[in-house]
Amino acid sequence: MKLNFKLNGKNVNIEAPGGERLLDLLRERLDLVGTKEGCGKGECGACTVLLDGEPVCSCLVLAAQVDGRQITTIEGIESDKQLSAVQRAFEQTGSVQCGFCTPGMVLSAVALLNKNPRPSKDEIKRALSGNLCRCTGYEKIFEAVELAAGNKQKRPVNK
Amino acid sequence: MNQVETINPANLKEALTAKARKDVVAIAGGTDILVKLHDRFDKLSPKLLILENLASLHKITASQKEISIGPLVTFSDIESSSILRKHASQLVAAASLAGSVQIRNRATIGGNIANGSPAGDTIPPLYVLGAVLELSSAKGKRFVPIEKFFTGPGMTVLRKNELITAIKFTRADNRGFFLRLATRQALAISKVSVAASIIVENGKIQAVKIALGAVAPTVIRAVRTEDFLKGKELSEDIINKAAVLVKEEARPIDDIRSIAVYRKEMVGVLMTRGLNSIAENA
Repeated sequence: MKLNFKLNGKNVNIEAPGGERLLDLLRERLDLVGTKEGCGKGECGACTVLLDGEPVCSCLVLAAQVDGRQITTIEGIESDKQLSAVQRAFEQTGSVQCGFCTPGMVLSAVALLNKNPRPSKDEIKRALSGNLCRCTGYEKIFEAVELAAGNKQKRPVNK
Repeated sequence: MNQVETINPANLKEALTAKARKDVVAIAGGTDILVKLHDRFDKLSPKLLILENLASLHKITASQKEISIGPLVTFSDIESSSILRKHASQLVAAASLAGSVQIRNRATIGGNIANGSPAGDTIPPLYVLGAVLELSSAKGKRFVPIEKFFTGPGMTVLRKNELITAIKFTRADNRGFFLRLATRQALAISKVSVAASIIVENGKIQAVKIALGAVAPTVIRAVRTEDFLKGKELSEDIINKAAVLVKEEARPIDDIRSIAVYRKEMVGVLMTRGLNSIAENA
């Protein structure tokens, strides 16, 4: 079917099967491979993208369901080639180990901060509860979101 | 996951016509059906009827007497609805505990009902709210009380040519709760859940409905416990007796998520917690 939607701020017109997963549409047809496939069934959050600003699992959305909508992927949250505040905070706190969960984590955090610029630690945990990380133990990720929200100063470097 | 064919109706009429056709399965948020297709695609090749764009099914409306929820209303919509917070606190609690942010942004109340799981979290609240489902086909509408909708795990009275087009209940000031236990707090299916709606007048329970999830082939009402509680004050003794009674109304099984003896015991524990919360805020 003919699809027309806004992707990272730009209009996209593309012919794709309506039954194709949004995840495959992004990765295979549009070469946006920042969005990762983990479990493929909505449990890990690695494929998180923003649909009209709200985080969703792109493995559980079909191409036919995004016609006329707005999608933001990890590739779309920089501005003027500058990392977003959340991305910088992830870098500063050392929240990235293998990195596979990072795009999804960052997008969930961006969506949270857009709605709630000063979230509590519990609100951060709840907002990220659909994103699994097997490396970090989450603490540095929570810290990154607090840092991006301005709740916390950058942790001192141990010398 | 292999590709599936989709049907993209422009309006409800087209959707109802298409629903009657062979091998057509309706998809709302897709959080159940796309997982099933992922897990066992080889055995299933439905044509998916995309309901996403049927704007008329996305609304929550309230009149003086009645609240009507469109089947495409998402769990996130329920969580943030002020009218539902006021008149259906159990439903709001259930919607906010299920899945994750990503799942709640897509999962719909109509999908949760149509999927027919005895562990579906919005169902016990809808039992205690006395919800009635509007089922529509190209030929017309019928109304089925939610308690008559389920016939077994994953089985409902929804006909091949029908869609759920509204979930309605009377607007009333009830107190209530929805409590559940699952392996972890996020992204886990309930092992056991308890919902209640209670009207207390002059310290006594004037009306009460209790529903139990994941402890029988369908969600069930705990009518013996309800009868026991009617007219009583919520004292510690009464709450303890109700917890003992309600355990005996559960008919759980052993499965991958839990075992029957534990589920039965936990029905009593959740009942106690819920009634205590009502008594404390009386």
